[in-house]
Amino acid sequence: MEHTILIMIAFHLYQLIVSGIAILMIFQGAIKYFTHGENQSFLKFFVRLIVWGGMATVSLFPQITNALASFVGLQGNINAVIMTGFLLVFLMIFKILSVVERIEHDISVLTREDALKKLKSDVR
Amino acid sequence: MHIRPKIVIIIPIYNESKVIGEVVANVRKSGFDNIIIIDDGSTDNSFEIIKHLPVIALQHKINRGKGATIRTGTEAAMFIGADIVVTMDGDGQHDALDIDRFVKAFQEKDVDVVLGVRQLEKENMPISRKLANWIADKVTFLLYGVNLQDSQSGFRAFSAHAIKLIKTKSNAYSYESEVLREIKTHQLSYTEVPIHVRYTAYSTSKKHKQNIVNGIKTIYTMIWNILS
Repeated sequence: MEHTILIMIAFHLYQLIVSGIAILMIFQGAIKYFTHGENQSFLKFFVRLIVWGGMATVSLFPQITNALASFVGLQGNINAVIMTGFLLVFLMIFKILSVVERIEHDISVLTREDALKKLKSDVR
Repeated sequence: MHIRPKIVIIIPIYNESKVIGEVVANVRKSGFDNIIIIDDGSTDNSFEIIKHLPVIALQHKINRGKGATIRTGTEAAMFIGADIVVTMDGDGQHDALDIDRFVKAFQEKDVDVVLGVRQLEKENMPISRKLANWIADKVTFLLYGVNLQDSQSGFRAFSAHAIKLIKTKSNAYSYESEVLREIKTHQLSYTEVPIHVRYTAYSTSKKHKQNIVNGIKTIYTMIWNILS
């Protein structure tokens, strides 16, 4: 219990949420890759690891971005707000595009089944 | 006794009513009778025409793109017991006489895939298409690690073994690059053969063909396929 409270104090809530989402995305990718899911490759898994791993790292250790923040001209808490906003937008786009892609794929499968129906019944 | 492999020619079409009859006649003249034509939801009377040709005519009720159409064709080809599947465009730009080159390559080199290379009349290729192909070749190499002379040629041939292994999900033109990724993933053996291409006013006027805009879309899809 004390240990949990110490972790909560050491990290802000947004850091835990961002890293939690990142771990979930990496976990999903790992399952797809290691169970040899359709169209999975090491490159795809590697890119996912870099993108989401990078976000988790930045959220847990925001001081890493100090150099970038100085360069851009933004300092302080505004970094966290911008980063969280960016992450949410990125996450939403990522999910929406995934859903669109899945629907497109399903439409193609249905269209294909319809196109092949007559041929299959003729051959059988 | 030498058993001749069953060679099936797949031709995906979209609004090709003006030329498809001639394309089929040329393929048959070259000695190949197993032809599957898939009409990808054409808005003209392409399907009405192919229904009356000596081919297996299939129809997508709605337009799904070249990648999805070829996949329908390969499924049909496997269903009728193809040993070798050849894919070619339906706009008449590919020369049916080149199919023999693919068959010879299979016999002489014992490979899984034969890829056509548009190099015999490269000087006739429109500059915009040359540029789009060059970019696509480089991006295909960067993303998929496959270095080819022509990554976007649609004139290709596959063994039944290769067809069973290649799984693609791209509906549009990024299909051509996705196939190369699958070749690399499954370590399929391949070779390249030079092919003739006829750039007629008809084929270059088609809006949905490979151009700079479609090239950018293709690259975007390839990157998205890696990220998603």
